[in-house]
Amino acid sequence: MMVHREHMSSIYLDHAATTPVRPEAREGMLAILDGEFGNPSSAHGWGRRAAARLEEARERVARAIGADPGEIYFVRGGTESDNVAILGHAEAVRRKGTTPFAAVSAIEHKAVLSAAAEVGERGGRGCTIPVYADGTLDMDALDTALADGASIVSAMTVNNEVGIHLPIEAIVERTHAHDAVFHTDAVQALGKVPVNVGDAPVDLLSLTGHKIYGATGTGVLFVRRGVDVAPLIFGGGQERELRPGTEDVAGAVGMAIAVELAVQEQESEADRIRGLRDLLQARLEDGIEGLRVHGDVPNRAPHILNVGIPDADPEALLAGLDLEGIAASAGSACDSGAHKASHVLEALYGPLNGVAVLRFSPGRSTSESDVIRAAEATLTVLERVRGVEVRG
Amino acid sequence: MSGQRILVAMSGGVDSSVAAALLVQQGYDVVGATMKTFCYSGEEAHSKTCCGLDGIADARRVSDALGIPHYVFDVEEDFTRDVIDDFVSEYARGRTPNPCVRCNSNTKFQDLMERGRVLGCDGIASGHYVRIDRSNVATPALHRGIDASKDQSYFLWGLPTEMLPLLHFPLGDLTKIQVREQARALGLVTADKPESQEICFVPTGDYRDLLEKRLIKQHPALEPGLIVSSTGAVLGEHTGYANFTVGQRKGLGGGFGQPLYVIEIRADSREVVVGTAEEGASGGAEIGEVNWLTTPPPEASPIQVQIRYRAAAVPATVQSTDGRVVLAFEEAQRAVTPGQSAVFFQGERVLGGGRIERALVSRTLDEEVGRASMLQPG
Repeated sequence: MMVHREHMSSIYLDHAATTPVRPEAREGMLAILDGEFGNPSSAHGWGRRAAARLEEARERVARAIGADPGEIYFVRGGTESDNVAILGHAEAVRRKGTTPFAAVSAIEHKAVLSAAAEVGERGGRGCTIPVYADGTLDMDALDTALADGASIVSAMTVNNEVGIHLPIEAIVERTHAHDAVFHTDAVQALGKVPVNVGDAPVDLLSLTGHKIYGATGTGVLFVRRGVDVAPLIFGGGQERELRPGTEDVAGAVGMAIAVELAVQEQESEADRIRGLRDLLQARLEDGIEGLRVHGDVPNRAPHILNVGIPDADPEALLAGLDLEGIAASAGSACDSGAHKASHVLEALYGPLNGVAVLRFSPGRSTSESDVIRAAEATLTVLERVRGVEVRG
Repeated sequence: MSGQRILVAMSGGVDSSVAAALLVQQGYDVVGATMKTFCYSGEEAHSKTCCGLDGIADARRVSDALGIPHYVFDVEEDFTRDVIDDFVSEYARGRTPNPCVRCNSNTKFQDLMERGRVLGCDGIASGHYVRIDRSNVATPALHRGIDASKDQSYFLWGLPTEMLPLLHFPLGDLTKIQVREQARALGLVTADKPESQEICFVPTGDYRDLLEKRLIKQHPALEPGLIVSSTGAVLGEHTGYANFTVGQRKGLGGGFGQPLYVIEIRADSREVVVGTAEEGASGGAEIGEVNWLTTPPPEASPIQVQIRYRAAAVPATVQSTDGRVVLAFEEAQRAVTPGQSAVFFQGERVLGGGRIERALVSRTLDEEVGRASMLQPG
């Protein structure tokens, strides 16, 4: 037997990638997994109890974000929620005999960008709307797309890489003026900024459990009553036929608890985390000449710090930080572990040309000493990077 | 050694897996790294078809089992420039490149070194079958691996000398059989992976596809030309001189009465020159891009030289070390192939090496030596 020598990264500053499951959510899930298991479609007591827990969960999510329970659909994660919203709406449009057209912001998550591109692949249209470095959407381009027949507009509430908080209310207003449908990916927003479908009259809204201390593979799609969305998969009719398949009751319960607590704690936690983020930013700005702060706009979400360091190798920088016990990311997680240029940063700032990007995202467990250590470790690693000749 | 941090190159094969495991056993603070060198579908959007990804996944699994961190470093740009572009241009010139030599000399170890510094590493390791002799602490020497059938010193003559003190080759004292046994004993998932024989970026073994993709259309190297004898008689046609290597017998067609070999490739006229074994023998060679891993030996020094990966080193004399090296073989050698490496040895020790620029027949050798000595400064 070999001994496991690798010590866990001691300071986790990658909460925008995923979060640990919080004890309240875990206990709620375990109660279902251990005891009240059952198929909500079954006619016996086990089934009835499971169905009751599922509907309770639906009500709790609805209450937390200002929706009706009938507008909440449990899905299996954020990517699925985005896909059902965009491709499902496009399919509903197509069935009515018109051509679907998805106009999405240029800084969307790949789940939205790829779904919009797929609308184009399937005989409809897809386009992106530019977002400026000051955190505003190009409203003229939006108007053009709407005048051109956009059937759905999608703009994320908070961007996952740089934390830009888009002006959703204004975008919804324009969209509705053209009778188009509005979707927002609020995966990174819940718990960090106010998210309420009563305040901002969005039509479709996507959430995921694992960014808010719930479980991976759990998600929600809010569909405002009267908005047509066709299913992407077919089966037994669960989730009012929009998302068939035996319901993940434990996941839904965990998700509901996580959503509820995220909303309850949003104001105080956002202030605390913003303080930590700003402290980290100040330390890095003091220590690193030429540091760029991406997404440093007044409407920035509190939990993300994205910095650019000139003339550094991002892969080596991240690896060096990891060995110093700091878990950060290069912007967004990637399948092969190798670095790729970020479409978000390119959309906002153009080509990066040798600038290494680091994203730090503090969370519930992060303390002040954690971010101070992270800043120190970054400077230590950077000192070594700077000693390295860049080969041309 | 305990506490020293070593960055080990892990390809996902059995050799580098065992190298990493041995370093862990020896008490080093081991960090694994896989260099992502190329991607077949570079032009396509889907990175999942990258052939390197299986290797990366295996390296990760081994690292996890060993309890060491593992990172992937993308060196595709360096690799394409230093190795693939060179490979293509050498064939275009009618020469036969050693891409693995280029990779080790120009890409792999230098890129590892840079990353290692950022990661606070004290040394660099790989699963090559070679040894570092540290009996002279100030000037460590590169030696052949113990297992003669696996020895990879032929591929490492191009390492920068100043790197030698930092290098670790844990497999140099082992045989391949012992390495496999170790891998099985440790339960490594890579224990029974087959040997990789082909050039990594030409997995089918047919490099012509790659040349066709990367050379301009109708490049002379891939256009038909004549097969001629050393006296100029036309013996047949070929479909591109890039398909040939000096010393090759296969693919010439039969019916010449006696075995014929490629003895020269003339890129200018697209001619492939063939001749008998005797005609293909050379008394010496001119070596360029020379790298010495030790102080260059004085003129007329007897050394041994290896001119192909699978060949034995043969006695030769260094006739000149003025920038390029002129070698005189003790016995005439067949298949002295431009583009291939000539590696200089003294017994087990690698003195250095270079690229074969051209074969010298005995007559020209005398002239070369004369000219070279005339060019000697003072």
